[in-house]
Amino acid sequence: MPTQTNGATDGKWHARYPELGTGPVPIEPYISPEYFEKEREYIFRKVWLNVGRVEQIPEPGDYFVKDLAVCRTSIIIVRGHDGRVHAFHNMCSHRGNPVVWNAKGACKMFTCRYHSWTYGLDGALRHIPDEKNFYGIKKDAYGLTPVAVDTWEGFIFINVDPRPKETLREYLGAVGESFEGYPFAEMATGCSTWEIDVNANWKVCKDAFQEVYHIFSLHHKSTGAAFASTSNPYLNVHELALFGPHARISVPANLDWTPTPVEALARRYGMLALQKQGSSSQGMPAGVNPTGSPDWSFSGLIYFPNMCLFVADGGIIMHTMWPLSENRTHWEARTYFPKAKTLAHKFSQEYSRATFVDGVLVEDGGTFEKTQSMLASGAKKHVILGDEELLIRHHHKVTEQFFNA
Amino acid sequence: MSERQLPEGFQDLEPYLEWSLATDRERSIKRQTSPMTKITAFYHAIVPRMDEILAHLEQYPLEQVPADAQSLFYLTLSLAKIAPAVEMYGEPVPEGLDALRLENIDIYPTRG
Repeated sequence: MPTQTNGATDGKWHARYPELGTGPVPIEPYISPEYFEKEREYIFRKVWLNVGRVEQIPEPGDYFVKDLAVCRTSIIIVRGHDGRVHAFHNMCSHRGNPVVWNAKGACKMFTCRYHSWTYGLDGALRHIPDEKNFYGIKKDAYGLTPVAVDTWEGFIFINVDPRPKETLREYLGAVGESFEGYPFAEMATGCSTWEIDVNANWKVCKDAFQEVYHIFSLHHKSTGAAFASTSNPYLNVHELALFGPHARISVPANLDWTPTPVEALARRYGMLALQKQGSSSQGMPAGVNPTGSPDWSFSGLIYFPNMCLFVADGGIIMHTMWPLSENRTHWEARTYFPKAKTLAHKFSQEYSRATFVDGVLVEDGGTFEKTQSMLASGAKKHVILGDEELLIRHHHKVTEQFFNA
Repeated sequence: MSERQLPEGFQDLEPYLEWSLATDRERSIKRQTSPMTKITAFYHAIVPRMDEILAHLEQYPLEQVPADAQSLFYLTLSLAKIAPAVEMYGEPVPEGLDALRLENIDIYPTRG
């Protein structure tokens, strides 16, 4: 069992993963431009990254575009005439202009705005205006450059490595399997997305969602008491478990908490995305409430490098952090819950969204830029992690492994 | 705003029609720019009527909501927006990130 100088911790989670150690963690990874470039080359340009869901492109010709600065590219994700999801670098073979300029849409083919070179949904170059003006061009050789793409439970992943060294399924491994069978498609009929560029390293953002130790404190006016209880005042979790580069977390609720009047109203007409009490994991796969606890609230798949996928009885909350530089991040926060059937159900979901915005986006998000500015101050060289913050330590360890691979 | 009417039986809420706002952004701005006294007055006026309001709204299919019911519905969305201010924070918005910096985006297909 790891011991710390004050000898006060029982090291419950770290004891299971002694290879991670228990010491302070360097701040350098949060502030160094050189470190960020290594993350870009050794991680983001090598691994499977979630860019969306299949519901964004239900019909052939439906597409969306992801600008992935960290991968130094923009990618078109499109449903082909063959019904399958395809991905291409958003770059015209002619002189490099992005073929698609808008964020989403539907089309029969892609026509570059610059000189109207035209590509099929399969990426094949179909038409060059004034083709005879070009020297011996073979259209077959100048399609859009494909990007590896695959789906898991309706989530679309791309990999910009021209030869990914593992399949998506191999990369997801056992933790992915443990969430398979959760009703993702049913939950994802409705979606709300909030996006923002924050002046913080992407890991400052991710770290906030890799631990729930902060809930009793940062969220003490909002949801703190709904999770933390007199018997579990600092919200120690049901489970922290590591699976290769990924991890799983499972979080309790305070069953003695009394909902506010409006929350009680909202709950009459629908489950909330962050339902605290009354959650059931019955019929859910093994990774959802893995400890089978009666006071279960939600479970999370912490996907390396940049996604935190939380599933609950009432819906899904997902965070994706897209690094822009060592101190800037494009943060995407989503709620997925079933499309509302009545106006009262819509009211219920709106309440759920409002508390999500307040509690998660405003309160959690409020720490990011403040923390970053102090990490960059140089006043300290390390941060300190407790036993419940295992997943933050694990992230750093996995990064080292990628750098040394 | 003043020409908007609420359904029969809900006229007592007409003084609060300034909270009947169609978009999430308008409701966010209204919350951020209103003093707690106004937020609290709206909360206490609408909360006791919510059972009747939701029962009234439940009778309409989503595609066939009359204008007066739609106005009433927008009031409930404003309640959803300001309830945390009254029930949790005791101030219009929690300390943290400025919510108006968030861009609320619809990533699903929008077909006509």
